[in-house]
Amino acid sequence: MNPELIRVVMFSVGMATLATVVMLPPGIALAWVLARRPFPGRTAVETLVSLPLVLPPVATGLILLRLFGRLGPVGRWLDRLGIEVVFTWKAVVLAMAIMGLPLLVRAARSGFEQIDRRYEQIAATLGARPARVFLTISLPLASRAVMAGAVLGFSRALGEFGATVMIAGTLPGTRTLSTSIYAYTQTGQDAAATVLLAAAVVVAVAAVVVSNRLSSAGHGDR
Amino acid sequence: MARVPIVLDFTVHQGPFTLEVHQRFEAQAVALFGPSGAGKTTVLDSIAGLRRPSVGVIEVGGHVLFDSERHLDLRPHARHVGYVPQDVALFPHMSVRKNIFYGIGRGVSPSLDTVLRLLEISPLLDRRITGLSGGERQRVAIARALMSGPNLLLLDEPLAAVEQSLRERILPYIECVRDELKIPLIYVSHSLDEVRRIADRLLTIEEGWVVESTTGHPRLAEGRVLR
Amino acid sequence: MVACRTVLFVTILAVLSCGPGDTVSNEVSPVVVSVAVSLSGALRKAADEFERATDVTVVLNAGGSDTLATQLLAGARVDLFFSADTRQMDRVVAGGRVVTKTRVDLLSNQLVVVSHIDRVGKVSGVTDLGSSQVRRIAIGDPDSVPAGVYAREFLESVGIWDAVRSKVVPTRNVRAALAAVEAGNADVGFVYRTDVTLADRVGITFVIPVDQGPQIRYVAAVTSDAPHEAAARQLLQFLRSGRARRIFEEAGFIALPGTPP
Repeated sequence: MNPELIRVVMFSVGMATLATVVMLPPGIALAWVLARRPFPGRTAVETLVSLPLVLPPVATGLILLRLFGRLGPVGRWLDRLGIEVVFTWKAVVLAMAIMGLPLLVRAARSGFEQIDRRYEQIAATLGARPARVFLTISLPLASRAVMAGAVLGFSRALGEFGATVMIAGTLPGTRTLSTSIYAYTQTGQDAAATVLLAAAVVVAVAAVVVSNRLSSAGHGDR
Repeated sequence: MARVPIVLDFTVHQGPFTLEVHQRFEAQAVALFGPSGAGKTTVLDSIAGLRRPSVGVIEVGGHVLFDSERHLDLRPHARHVGYVPQDVALFPHMSVRKNIFYGIGRGVSPSLDTVLRLLEISPLLDRRITGLSGGERQRVAIARALMSGPNLLLLDEPLAAVEQSLRERILPYIECVRDELKIPLIYVSHSLDEVRRIADRLLTIEEGWVVESTTGHPRLAEGRVLR
Repeated sequence: MVACRTVLFVTILAVLSCGPGDTVSNEVSPVVVSVAVSLSGALRKAADEFERATDVTVVLNAGGSDTLATQLLAGARVDLFFSADTRQMDRVVAGGRVVTKTRVDLLSNQLVVVSHIDRVGKVSGVTDLGSSQVRRIAIGDPDSVPAGVYAREFLESVGIWDAVRSKVVPTRNVRAALAAVEAGNADVGFVYRTDVTLADRVGITFVIPVDQGPQIRYVAAVTSDAPHEAAARQLLQFLRSGRARRIFEEAGFIALPGTPP
C-alpha cells in the first residue's frame, strides 16, 4: 500500500471525524429545538435541515459552491478576511458536515422526544435553570440516541462524494477515500481503487465496532 | 408547629375542564383529597410552576409565586417548591447520592444528616436507582426534594405505589418530616386514613372546585361526606 | 469518558494530517490545473516532465468538464483549465473566467466502437449497428458526457440515429459504458480510442475514420485571475511542445497541429 493511499485514508477518516465534531453542537441544538415546543417557522427549519438528505448530493454541492465560492455571498466576505474554503480541506469538512447533519438531527431529535418530561420538570423544581436541566438531565438521557446519530453522521461523512467533488475538487490536498476511488476507476487504475475500497470496508467495520462499544459503555457507566 | 400563610387563588385549565381554587389559610400540612382524574396533580403542577393558571395568585409564606395581574410568573427553579410526583421520577442515570444532592445550593437545605436519619436512607447512598424497592424510592425522592431547601413540599400520592403492608412503615417518615423539619406540606391522597394522620386542613376537589372541608385540631373532625 | 478522549485524539491527528505539508514542496504554491478526468493520466505524465524541466510544481484537479466549469464560474482558484468539452469552455468564456486570447485546441481523439473481446469483428461497420445482431448500444449520456454527445452527432450525421436510438443505453460516463459491454449488457459501445485501455475484456471492433467522425476537441486556456499566471502560460506553451505531444499521442490522443513553440 503506497504512502499516497495511506494518506488518503488517514485524511478521510480525520476529516470525517472533524466533520462529526463540527456537526454535533448545531445538530444537538437543532434536535432539541425541534423536539420541544412548536414555534413559528418550525416547518421551515425542519425542511431546511432535511434538504441535504433529499436533494441529490451534487445539487447540495452546487448550492454550497454558489454560497462559499469566492464570488458567492458568503465566500466573498470570507475572502476579504483572507479565508478560503473552496478547494481546501475546509470544503471537505463543510461538505461532510452538511451531508451528515440531517441524520444526526433525526436520531437526536427522536432521543429527546422520548425523554419523559417529568424528569426535566422535577429537575427544574429542584432549582436547575434550563441550561443545567439540558446538560445534566436531557442530554445524558438522550445520549445513546445522540451517539447513534453521530455514528450515522460520521458514516455519511466518510462516504460523501457528490458535494465534496463540487466544492473541494480532487486536488492532492483534498482527495478523499470516495473521490479517489472514483478517480482511480475512471482512469483505469483498478488496483489502487481496490485497495482503497478494502480500506473503506475496514473503516466502516471499525465505525460499527466503536459505536457498539460507545452505546454499551454508556449503559454500563450509569 | 409552624403555620405558614398560603394563598391559592387561581383558575387553571385541565384539558376541557376548568379548576377553580380559591383558598387562603395558614397551615402546617394540607391534604388535597379527591377521586383520580379530578385534577389534584394539576393543582400541584400549578403551584410548582409546571403549569400556568389563566388567572390568579399563588403565594407561599409571603412570597408571591404567581400573579397574573402583575404578570408575575416565577419559573419553577425559582419557586423553592419541592415536588415529589406520583411517579417519583428519580433520575435514572444518576446514583441515589447524586439524586439527593441535585438540588443542593438552591435554598437553605436542612442538615443532610438529619434528612438521612429521618428517612433512614444512609445505606442507600451509593446504590443505583434501578435496584431500589418502591418504599426506598419514595424516601429517596422525599430526601431529594428536601435537600433543595424548599419553602413548601408537595407530595402527590406518595403511598399509592407502595404495597399496603409498607404504607404503615412509610407514613411515620412523612410525619417526621412534618414535625421535625417544619416544612409546610401539601399532601395529595385518596386515602382518608393517610389524610387524617398527616393533615390539619383538608381540601377536596368537587366538580372542578377545590373546597375546604373542615379545619380542626388535632386532626380532622368528622365532617362532610367525601366522595 | 474514554470515548470522548479517543474522538479528541483522532480529531487532533486529523487536523495535523491535513496541514500545509501536503501540496507544497517548495516555497511557491503549486500551479493548479482543472483537467477533465479522461485527460488527467496523460496530463500528469506531461506535467511531471514540466516539473523536472522547471522549478514549478503542478497539481491536478480532475473532474467532469461540467463540474470543473461550474467550479470556475463560482470563483475557484485555478490557473489553467483543460476541458474535454468545448461547450464547457464556451461557458467559462462567457462568464469571463478565462483569458480568451490563450484559448487553444490542443488535442483531438478518435471515436471507436468496441465490443466484448470475444466478439471483435462481428460488428464491422456502421450499417451493422442497425442489424438485429446489435440489440443494445452503450454510449455516455448524450445530454452530458462529451463522448456521448459526439457519438450521437456522428450517428445523426450518417443518418441512422433515429433507427438505432431505441437501442441506445445512455451511461453515466465512459467507464460505465465499457463496463456494460464487458458484462454483456450491451453488444457494442461508443468510446474514445483513449478509453479502450480502461477495460480488459473489450476490443475495438471498428473505428470511425477521423475525417468522417465528429470534430472532437480538447481545449485549454489560462484563467483570468490565475494566481500563477506566468507559470500557467509557461505550462500551456509546454503542452503545445513536441515533448508533450508525444506523451499525449502515446496515450492515444491526436495532437493537433499548431504553431510549435
